[in-house]
Amino acid sequence: MEANKLNTNEELKTHKSPSGFSIIWRELVRDKLALISLIFLILITAFVYGVSFVLDQEEIVTVDLFSIHEPPSEEFWLGTDYGGRDIFGQLIIGTRNSLSIGILVTLMSGLIGIVFGLVAGYFGGHVDNVLMRILDFFQILPFLMIVIVFVAIVPKYSIWTFSLIMTAFLWMGIARLIRSKALQEKELDYVQASKTLGSSNIKIIFTQVLPNITSLIIVTMTLNLAGNIGLESGLSFLGFGFPESTPSLGTLLSYARNPQTLEYRWWIWVPASVLILLLMLAVRNVGEALKRATDARQRRG
Amino acid sequence: MSEKLLEVKNLKTSFRIKDDYYAAVDDVSLSVNKNEVLAIVGESGCGKSALAFSIMGLHNRAKIEGNILFKDQDIANLSISNLNKLRGKNMGMIFQDPLTALNPLMEIGDQIGEALLLHNKDLSKTKRKEKVIDLLNKVGIPRPEHVYEQFPHELSGGMRQRVVIATAIANEPELLIADEPTTALDVTIQSQILDLIKELKDDMDAGIILITHDLGVVAEMADRVAVMYAGQIVEIADVHTLFEKPLHPYTRSLFNSVPNTAQAKSKLHVIQGIVPSLQNLPREGCRFSARIPWIDASAHEEHPELHEVSSGHFVRCTCYKHFDFPEGSSKEEQHHGIS
Repeated sequence: MEANKLNTNEELKTHKSPSGFSIIWRELVRDKLALISLIFLILITAFVYGVSFVLDQEEIVTVDLFSIHEPPSEEFWLGTDYGGRDIFGQLIIGTRNSLSIGILVTLMSGLIGIVFGLVAGYFGGHVDNVLMRILDFFQILPFLMIVIVFVAIVPKYSIWTFSLIMTAFLWMGIARLIRSKALQEKELDYVQASKTLGSSNIKIIFTQVLPNITSLIIVTMTLNLAGNIGLESGLSFLGFGFPESTPSLGTLLSYARNPQTLEYRWWIWVPASVLILLLMLAVRNVGEALKRATDARQRRG
Repeated sequence: MSEKLLEVKNLKTSFRIKDDYYAAVDDVSLSVNKNEVLAIVGESGCGKSALAFSIMGLHNRAKIEGNILFKDQDIANLSISNLNKLRGKNMGMIFQDPLTALNPLMEIGDQIGEALLLHNKDLSKTKRKEKVIDLLNKVGIPRPEHVYEQFPHELSGGMRQRVVIATAIANEPELLIADEPTTALDVTIQSQILDLIKELKDDMDAGIILITHDLGVVAEMADRVAVMYAGQIVEIADVHTLFEKPLHPYTRSLFNSVPNTAQAKSKLHVIQGIVPSLQNLPREGCRFSARIPWIDASAHEEHPELHEVSSGHFVRCTCYKHFDFPEGSSKEEQHHGIS
């Protein structure tokens, strides 16, 4: 009898709803691809940020005319570019710069977009109207042209200022998305029910509506992260990103605009392209697993 | 005489449709006493829920005119922050659909605990948990410690409705508005939930507004009944009077439309036509006249008012005096006494 009671008690304990990190962890373990992607991301992030403490950016980007266009060797693991600069070192610093910009832009544009969208969608009416017209104004500004002008007139820009200028034109998409979701969500009974309990609007927005759209936010931000890394690479590729003295994955790619480099010197641009591809895929895989973890209805187990 | 808890005076709630305001609740006056169940009955779209939402202050963009006196304080035009001090503490609401009334991402314990926390900031975490488990016990949830940590999707509909009720009564409100609390549940659970609400009423001495379209529920629960049609109250009386001597044509038609096993062979009475939409609602004359076209127009009042036919029994318009069901549609009007 006693043992029986104990048993059911233990059973109850195992039936307890899992929450927080354990759910995310279980979801990741179940999805091998996501787990591998996550490990890859952690390793590469730790590696590039760790190594770039040791590496001297100045030394790597210094032109060395005696070793132009050298193929991979013991001295230069991935060869050199037309300035005799070590590609491997540039790759590490470039990945770090690209990742930093991608993460910064994603976080900043996400933060602005979420708050903006939630407020507009939740309150609706006149508030929504005014906020959406402001958003429309930002949306019609020609992003590429303004970035190009910015790059031309500001003599020395850092990762921070470059991220800020990108953020200024990239928060609208997520704001729109969050607004549309908030418009739906606020009509649901649980929001009304929360009001009948005496919750304030601000509290409802951030403790009720926000958690219910996290899956959307995470997926969007993840895709944005991948997109922002791509966007930065694209700008650098076109020559409107960072100068060659501040390498990013995009600057390495832009060397491939030279047909000879494209055809005969694969070591300059192939590693960067592969890395961009792998980074984007890995980020997306992890995002998918997170999405399932945050939504009880989509969990695998 | 029992105390008046809530008094609604000439309430008019209008919604904006294409730049014009249309009243969904039109000139409604009623009152609820302590330890009393007032049932509001009517077809879908007659303004029952709009009335409930107006009382709770949930309509953001609707125009609300008239007075809603809660313990002699006018809450119709109270600021949100002042209203929030009352909501959840002095008045609670039970929602129709337990599937959507709970936040899908919050544990049951947190949802009920939130109601406690909002009105008592000093409540410690352990005390709060104790109280939530008490509440879960009170609404008849088995193994409350276990349910405390579950999410809404892990519970059945009946259980969820119990949780919704537990949330609404967490702070022992004096006024409880139940907006069709049993519509989404099956019959056996329905009676359990109704018993529960009844018990709570007796325990807490609360006034309850029960919104429903189920006349069986009304007979079971209500002390007084208000029948609504097209945004207006057409008849209001205590439950015995209404069930024994319904007067307004709409009330009588409603009772006549209840399936009856004793007359299983006869055809079920159907009220002709549909509830007109908000924009097409006749604002002049008797609003029910279009659905009883065989009654002569002179029977209706030009500006129908509530007439007191006996103490506490009000009927709108004079057409009830001349009303009868058309021949052939129904053999004999059934009488629904309450046993």
